[in-house]
Amino acid sequence: MTFNARTDRRLIRPTHRSLRFILAEITAPASRREHGRPPVNLAFVIDRSGSMSGDKLRLAKQAVQEAIARLHTDDRFAVVVYDDQIDLVVPTTRATPEARREALDQLARIDARGSTNLGGGWLHGCEQVALALSEEGVNRCLLLTDGLANVGIIDHAELARHAAELRMRVVSTSTFGVGDDFDEVLLQGMASAGGGHFYYIASAATIRDHITSEVGETLDVVARGVTLEVVTPDGIRVEALSTQPTLQRGDRTEITLGDLTSEETVSIVLRLEFPYGQIGDRLGAVLSIGDRDGAFREDSVKLAWEYAVDRENDAQERDRAVDRAVAAIFAARARQEAVGRNRRGEFDGARHVVKATARRIRGYAGRDQELRRILAELENEVEVMAAPMMEMSRKQAYYESANVLGSRDHAGSAVKARPGPDRQ
Amino acid sequence: MPAENEYSLQDLADLTEVTPRTIRYYVAQGLLSSPEGAGPGTRYSEGHLVRLRLIRQLQREHLPLAEIRARIAGLDDEAITELLEAPTAAGVNESAVDYIRAVLGGGVAPGQMQAPAPMPGPSLLRRMALPDMPAAAAPDAPSTAPSSIPDRSQWDRISLAPDIELHIRRPLSRLQNKRVDRLLAIARQLLEEDQS
Repeated sequence: MTFNARTDRRLIRPTHRSLRFILAEITAPASRREHGRPPVNLAFVIDRSGSMSGDKLRLAKQAVQEAIARLHTDDRFAVVVYDDQIDLVVPTTRATPEARREALDQLARIDARGSTNLGGGWLHGCEQVALALSEEGVNRCLLLTDGLANVGIIDHAELARHAAELRMRVVSTSTFGVGDDFDEVLLQGMASAGGGHFYYIASAATIRDHITSEVGETLDVVARGVTLEVVTPDGIRVEALSTQPTLQRGDRTEITLGDLTSEETVSIVLRLEFPYGQIGDRLGAVLSIGDRDGAFREDSVKLAWEYAVDRENDAQERDRAVDRAVAAIFAARARQEAVGRNRRGEFDGARHVVKATARRIRGYAGRDQELRRILAELENEVEVMAAPMMEMSRKQAYYESANVLGSRDHAGSAVKARPGPDRQ
Repeated sequence: MPAENEYSLQDLADLTEVTPRTIRYYVAQGLLSSPEGAGPGTRYSEGHLVRLRLIRQLQREHLPLAEIRARIAGLDDEAITELLEAPTAAGVNESAVDYIRAVLGGGVAPGQMQAPAPMPGPSLLRRMALPDMPAAAAPDAPSTAPSSIPDRSQWDRISLAPDIELHIRRPLSRLQNKRVDRLLAIARQLLEEDQS
């Protein structure tokens, strides 16, 4: 397990509001399986509305059947399906061989119909998880849909708020959007607020891979409820640029990283805005990492900045690793914004967002290869975003950016620590 | 039975819903003091109980363990008890089940007294699923929609066995919800016996 934090620049200006960035990298410990893993408690919530008929529903059911087959007797699961009506197909049950067999029978009977009460279906899934909370394992509701919320609670902000409230009560949410018609902003928002993950499934054929990957992660969690806490003196404003939920309490900023799997690496980028100050004065920040189970044993890192004259500020060295992370995050945010504008037909606006971000990155890219690559990619996309796009391309672009923002790999899975020379 | 105000590890685990493993971890981490005795004869005090309850409460507020330790370090049992009884941060104490049921219309909103027919606020009600209503009409239903319970209710279909289903019209009161949970547990047990 490792935790480190670094800043892009150490000096700040006495008569300007300086912006400085912190890159915090957290790697979860490797799982120690000698006593087996803690039991998980899952609910599978599947959209059965008319548009899911055919391959999508068939493959979703198959994926859930396979996921259930991987559970142990101590694990729990529930299955909820919804259209405009919500059916509790399998109420929360221990994953005994009989219960699993029974679930397979029940799943086989489900066919597609009706419109989509996404919020209701999801909440009923969460309720099943909440009825039998696992003390030591992961409690999570997995929502798979190809559509919009058009019955029941449909307000994005409200659904995200409920997801955040449930996360605080240890029920997390992961979402899977299938095809072209679901609402990625809603599903990403629910997963981010809900402490889980969002997956875009372009082709029904890969539903199984995505569900398997997510269930596999819940089985491999080594630290639950991980939070990064940043304590700064008065006057420094702290903002997390990643999508993880952030809570500010006075001089403390707490970023929720959720449940981390064995050796998972998460990168968080923070932006700090400094007040004016006296040359020679120093300001510091303390970053610490904690989790519900004590896997992280309260690691902390201190960073300090010093007020210096403009000339020294201009000449100071930059930490390129931080610059690269910052550029990648801003590029991802610009892409998501541009996709939204593209969909609304605001092509000039989409072009402007991407160009403006590219211009800012060019300002500090210098000769750094990685920064120049990020810049070139973004510049190539300017005209793509400024013309009508296929919906699938929009979803793909949004999803790739969501993965950058959420510290996930290109396939939406956890990023694992690369074995270094000092490791076996 | 244990002596007055003395608990075995299992007693403590049952009372606080914390596993024995986690309790031992807290002792190792210094969040709880070492208990008296050793092995099966180990005895935990009232102080352990209130401390453990406070740790659980603070964890529900999502405080990291380091922060919890900092908060409870140096406090005596009386101070711990006081903290335990103080009102907590915005309703996080409310369980996930209560929260969901309040949203779905079957429970009590945080901080409210149990009313004879607890219901969520009108804006939420308008967005609840109405079983016989056309899909397009539900989200933007006018605020003048009639407000009697049957109009807002929703049927849940719970499958108990291949040929047996239970239908429940929500919202239900908290008490009714508890009874339904019991009914489900008994029904499932009965049906499992049937199969074996």
